[in-house]
Amino acid sequence: MKLIKLSIAIICLSLSQVSLASMKITVNGMVCSFCAQGIEKSIMKMEDTKAIFVDLKNKVVVIEPKEGKTLNEKLISQEIKDSGYDVVKVETISQTVAQFKAESRDKK
Amino acid sequence: MRYTNFFFGVLTIFLALMTSASAAPMGFKNSWMVMGDTSKNFQELAFNYATTANDAFGLSVSGMESHHSMKQQNVEAVYTRKVARWNMPNAQANIWFIGGIGSTTGNTFEGSRLTTSPGVQLDYETTRVYVMGSTRVYTGEGPTSSINTLRLGGSFYEVHYDQPQPWFIVEARRMNFVSRQYEITPMLRVIHNRYFVEFGANMSGQPRFNFMYNY
Repeated sequence: MKLIKLSIAIICLSLSQVSLASMKITVNGMVCSFCAQGIEKSIMKMEDTKAIFVDLKNKVVVIEPKEGKTLNEKLISQEIKDSGYDVVKVETISQTVAQFKAESRDKK
Repeated sequence: MRYTNFFFGVLTIFLALMTSASAAPMGFKNSWMVMGDTSKNFQELAFNYATTANDAFGLSVSGMESHHSMKQQNVEAVYTRKVARWNMPNAQANIWFIGGIGSTTGNTFEGSRLTTSPGVQLDYETTRVYVMGSTRVYTGEGPTSSINTLRLGGSFYEVHYDQPQPWFIVEARRMNFVSRQYEITPMLRVIHNRYFVEFGANMSGQPRFNFMYNY
């Protein structure tokens, strides 16, 4: 019984971590803010999105979901495509947008 | 009356700032793009709406004046098509088609005439380098003119997404309605999110001011 409870607790904990994880997307063709702002505008309109960071120097977009929400990878990839860019790689990272932004700028 | 003058003053300044600086002649899907071009011999005000990632429909009003005071005004419906785009890890290249159809009036002929204005633009851009070439032909039933443009530029430094980025751009442009000579114009460009501004002066000291807004 204890083992079952422990397993449930671990599953719940891991699920909560998944839903809080940010999505890091590597995008080809993203060379200026004037053109790339379409990505920010369209993804911020999605109801599960809490925050977004467009990293022009590293050509990545980081998206953080609202608490308890899960980002839809397929829809987000389509929005980036509709903005005129190509999605190269999608990863899940543990940082929030604010943390990633701070780390990204500290590296420079 | 005072407010009316103020309103028209603001409107005039706003319209004067518009120009088809052409980083890209259309925005992203479901976006509006406002463009213009203001110099001594050519003015254009245009806007379009992108219905897909590759197609935009809009209107353009343009005016040309030669050194001999020949004048021509065009009002056109304009279709813009992204024919091809190459998205690379650190660069982007495009081929665009721009085609207009409408009416033209001028001081060398009576009434208005049908005009079309097919054109092509090719561009290549990284976060530090910009190259663009375009040609557009205005084929009225009477007067025909073309505008050929070549632009080369470099940014002073890379920036983050939310920071303004300054560029130095040199443009060579020939408007055969005005002259057979190429007009060389060095300009300073500043890009910041939705805004795109360019200003400079040609070798004769005539000012040039460009502005694009995407929303």
